[in-house]
Amino acid sequence: MSVSTSQGQIGSLLTSAFFMLAGAATLYDAASYTDRDSQVFPQTVAVILIITAGLSLLTRLLRPSDRGGFGAGSWWRRILLVVSMLVACFLMPGIGFLPAGVIAFAGGLIAAMHDKWTTRTVLLYWSSGAVVMVCFFALFKYVLNVPLP
Amino acid sequence: MLRRTILKAGAALALVTSLATVASAELSGPVNYIIPFGPGGESDISARLQQPFFKEKFGQDLVVSYQPGGGGAVGWASLNGLSGDGQTIMGVNLPHIVIKPAQKDVGFKTEDLNIFHMFHFTPDALVVTADSPYQTLEDLVADAKANPGQVTISGSGKASANHLAQIKFDKMTGATTTYVPFKGTGAAVTALLGKQVKAEWGYTTVGAAQGDAVRLLAVAMEERHPLFPDVPTFKELGYDMVGGAYRGIALPNTASDETTKMWSDMISEVNGDEAFRQKMLDAGFALLDVDAAEMDAFMAERKEEYLKDAREAGLIK
Amino acid sequence: MNFDHFLTAATPFNLCLALFGVAAGTIVGSIPGLTATMALAVLVPITFSMDPASALILLGAIYTGALYGGAYAAILLNTPGTPSAIATTFDGYPMAKKGDGDLAVALACFASVCGGLIGAFALLLLAPPLSKVALAFGPVEYFWLSVFGLSLIASLSTGNLMKGLAGGAFGMILSTVGVAEISADIRLTFGSQTLISGFGVVGTLIGLYCIPVLIDLVAVPDRHLKVEKDVKSVRIGEAFGLAMRSKFNLVRSSIIGTLVGILPGAGGSVAGLVAYSEVKRGAKPHQKFGEGEPDGIMAVESANNATVGGGFIPTLVLGIPGTPPDAIVLGALLVQGVRTGPTMFQQSGSIVYTFIYGLIIATIMMLPAGLLIGRYAYKSIVTIPKAVLVPAVGFMTIIGTFAIRNSISDVVIMLCLGVFGWVVARFGFAASPIVLGLILGPIAEQGFVQGWTIGAATNNLAGMFFGRPISQGIIAFTLITLILPVFMARRQTKLLERNAK
Repeated sequence: MSVSTSQGQIGSLLTSAFFMLAGAATLYDAASYTDRDSQVFPQTVAVILIITAGLSLLTRLLRPSDRGGFGAGSWWRRILLVVSMLVACFLMPGIGFLPAGVIAFAGGLIAAMHDKWTTRTVLLYWSSGAVVMVCFFALFKYVLNVPLP
Repeated sequence: MLRRTILKAGAALALVTSLATVASAELSGPVNYIIPFGPGGESDISARLQQPFFKEKFGQDLVVSYQPGGGGAVGWASLNGLSGDGQTIMGVNLPHIVIKPAQKDVGFKTEDLNIFHMFHFTPDALVVTADSPYQTLEDLVADAKANPGQVTISGSGKASANHLAQIKFDKMTGATTTYVPFKGTGAAVTALLGKQVKAEWGYTTVGAAQGDAVRLLAVAMEERHPLFPDVPTFKELGYDMVGGAYRGIALPNTASDETTKMWSDMISEVNGDEAFRQKMLDAGFALLDVDAAEMDAFMAERKEEYLKDAREAGLIK
Repeated sequence: MNFDHFLTAATPFNLCLALFGVAAGTIVGSIPGLTATMALAVLVPITFSMDPASALILLGAIYTGALYGGAYAAILLNTPGTPSAIATTFDGYPMAKKGDGDLAVALACFASVCGGLIGAFALLLLAPPLSKVALAFGPVEYFWLSVFGLSLIASLSTGNLMKGLAGGAFGMILSTVGVAEISADIRLTFGSQTLISGFGVVGTLIGLYCIPVLIDLVAVPDRHLKVEKDVKSVRIGEAFGLAMRSKFNLVRSSIIGTLVGILPGAGGSVAGLVAYSEVKRGAKPHQKFGEGEPDGIMAVESANNATVGGGFIPTLVLGIPGTPPDAIVLGALLVQGVRTGPTMFQQSGSIVYTFIYGLIIATIMMLPAGLLIGRYAYKSIVTIPKAVLVPAVGFMTIIGTFAIRNSISDVVIMLCLGVFGWVVARFGFAASPIVLGLILGPIAEQGFVQGWTIGAATNNLAGMFFGRPISQGIIAFTLITLILPVFMARRQTKLLERNAK
């Protein structure tokens, strides 16, 4: 794989381009504000964003390198972690906070477990997880009066 | 005779306790009192003043929590999604709840809010520092007419009670002042005390909190505020300005009529407590007693006035 | 002010309250999402039934403890527990990664106590004159202060200047999303109701700092933090030695923290950033900031704890709260019938002085309590197996983000920002510039708009932005911070070239 098509190179170009797009979107949105006071700042900053992101895109184009990239590591673990947390959020209003928390915890636990499961670790990890969750739930709900669903 | 008195007293006592149990039977625990702003503002202070009286009268805690965002809009947009069992209430502010939805879609409409009591308002006041050259309101008006735009006046936010007051005042006097919006009353007062601006559009509460450091030029009330007997009203000086920011409390609109009635009665009772009234007056507030039954008429009148003012000011189309 | 007030403050009951408050505050502060504001808001009703001075001591102790506790998560998880600890992550996490987490926690404790004491003594002895600082700072000064804070981006992103600046600009754009703070527009929501509330600072911090750490942790089987084989039991002595060697840094950072704390529009996060920027500017050649330099942690932690005392100066003297926790204390005072404002020190003097002494006592209590809790926190983070640590921290981020505004969409936004932050960081756009932009953006915007409005009204725009002495001072410091490193680097290369010849 050549440098100019490496993950680091393509990814860097894409992120720079994304930031330029974000600046353009800001300029577009700012045009519709009714109050001049709320326009000045986003417009100025958006221009700075487009210039700086554009310059970083340009320098990378002129001097390609393979710096950057997602690195080694297991994708299914990363995705499982994030997805289980997201799923927990979407289910939370329906099934309540603690059951949703269990989903997120289970996802994280499985994703982060690199050793072999043994009876001991299964018991220990799951029970300590339950303790942590119940403690936090009680602290927030009853001591701090947060209306958890 | 004595027996009858005792009987009567006993009956009255029984009635009172049964009423009390009916009223508090519906409160099943601490009440979540959401302030849709950060701490330290007028909404927060008045809620804090209610807390001990509520606890004393009804035996339950009012737990104040803050949900700032979007000048209150975030809280109000979420209100009707909360449980209407009477355990959650939220502070509401005029003119915010009228102006914000009229400007843009902020996720709630004025009519959606189940407001059950308006318990106080902070009358608009024009404030200068104690050593300001403006001794009277006329001094300021004269300066603003002689040097159009040069008189800078700070205030809390735009399209707010302060901003509306400034626009209205300019129109009435024919003077031109410059409004400088700040984030909250505290920041606007800091700018005044630091002489970054020449005056501040604030409330009577500013005069109460700052004491000798500031001078109120006039207050927008029908009659003078008991805390400031020497400060004239705008009306006395020939400007027909009465108003300010009104604050009340709302329930989610899923709450039953009984719950709404119960809350309206409870807050009326707190508001009727002499000690509470005194504390509110000392802090510069003016009391108001609009309960659930009178709310529709009150809101309709306020809404019409605010929308008219805002339209004339060019804040809404 | 006399010794009586000290004795009133030092009753056994008050001492217990102070100890409890500091311990509880430290724990609250160490949990990302739980803020001092929240803990205080919940506790205020309890204080109604207490004697006013005791109530205030409890509130003050929790506040102090929370600012120190924020350092734990910053050092051990790269996640500021409170926004004040943002700059603690710069050197704290690299230190922990090298295996010096216990040292870093102890250093943070010494620095916090030092900063807290200097701030509290400033409050005790110099409150009325110092409150003038709050008034001297106008909109333009806030604008330049935020520019100075942003100049830190340049030195944070060596070799990646454009990316750092782009990140900062992006952070500032994030800060404008939602209903505008002082004008009345709704910005950049693109019709979404969820975005009206904007990106909250605490939620964004959790997302941008904590989620990427978790994603990286699960991907590889390595340990979270490096642990020395022969775990030295206590490194308090070593930390104390380091702190003593940096006396000058500690005092200077504490003074910066006190002064920035006095400014009602700034707060602990800005104080930490300014102090970090200052200590970095004077770096000696052997000091490598950003790679685990103890002086960096000490600067930030002493500065942010100094804002406690500093923040109470305008709160008590002017009746203008410096930070949200100050505002809650102000509310509690009002309910107790204490009138704040210019006459307070005369009229309600005894309560005020008892409170200040209580704050000093609480700060001193933080030394044993903080070292003990810190050691325990460090030990549990390094000994808990990664498989439990990750989901436990993940659960904490969810519950903590939810609790800020009781909103599930905030949690979803936090997670999305986290994934976004992880991706862009992989390609050179680090999280810190974005966060700096997010925090300093609103200060810059408001200061600029207000300064411009006033300047235009008085036909003196140039004088407004460049003619005021404090502004000129801040501009000069900003220029020095930006230019000096370039100049020094050039001189060094020249020297090297000459030596090579």
